[in-house]
Amino acid sequence: MARWDIVYNKTADGRVPALDYFIDSCTTKLHAFLNAVLDAVAAAPPPSFSGGGHWEAMSGDMAGYFEAKAVGPNRRHHRVFCLLENSDDPSEMERRGLPNKAIAVITGMWKPNATLFSDKEYAHVRSLGDDYLKQLPRRIASAEDVTDFIARLTEKREQERETGRKKDERRRKR
Amino acid sequence: MAKPLDTSAHSRLSAALMEDDEYREEYEQSRREIEAIDRVIHELDELREQEGLSKAELARIVNRNPSSIRRLFTQKSNPELALVVAIAAALGADLRVVPPKKTSRRKTRGKRRELVAA
Repeated sequence: MARWDIVYNKTADGRVPALDYFIDSCTTKLHAFLNAVLDAVAAAPPPSFSGGGHWEAMSGDMAGYFEAKAVGPNRRHHRVFCLLENSDDPSEMERRGLPNKAIAVITGMWKPNATLFSDKEYAHVRSLGDDYLKQLPRRIASAEDVTDFIARLTEKREQERETGRKKDERRRKR
Repeated sequence: MAKPLDTSAHSRLSAALMEDDEYREEYEQSRREIEAIDRVIHELDELREQEGLSKAELARIVNRNPSSIRRLFTQKSNPELALVVAIAAALGADLRVVPPKKTSRRKTRGKRRELVAA
């Protein structure tokens, strides 16, 4: 089966919630892991089993959504919420503006260990998803959005490394 | 026909992220782990088909709810090792840990030492 694309939902005000989540809430390692899950699923798309058990269909109010799951530092449980763009009707895919079937990454969130997301938090994900689905063609992150993201991410990682260096120095002095 | 959207953002992003050593190492390691799990599940599903068993029949043999077997062979659940082992046994197969080849073993040992020392 052909590899699917991975696209990022973009909001009306130009934000890309999933990329904001990766910057604000994920370490480098966690981001790498979540991307590994998404890429594995895109390479062997549904309905086949893929994602190593870190990709699950959601149920109840969230039926139709899929989540990539990971446990990050401090036992925080991270979730990346996705929709599938998998219509078999070529004219429908054309209306959506998508050249291939795709995983649409809507947003990401984390919760402390042994807690649940609230109804309000899930409703927020659904409102982003509903807005995404209303757009024809879809509103997705562009190459420029990625360039901006990389610049912000590089700056943040530099700050983290600098903070780490300072911590190490303080530890050595003690 | 409307012009299709540019869907290259993810691949561009991935290419840039892979330039970071920490990201690349974690990504490659994660992909290997994920692929290993996926391979086990796919091989079990192939064995099931070769044996001519439906998912419901397999569920009866391993004394599980049919939905848990259906979920296991699709993308809908995190595979539980005990269930995977039970299915392998029911299909006459065996789950084993195969040591890696010598070169990648040396690499793994080196990495393990680094982690222990950190």
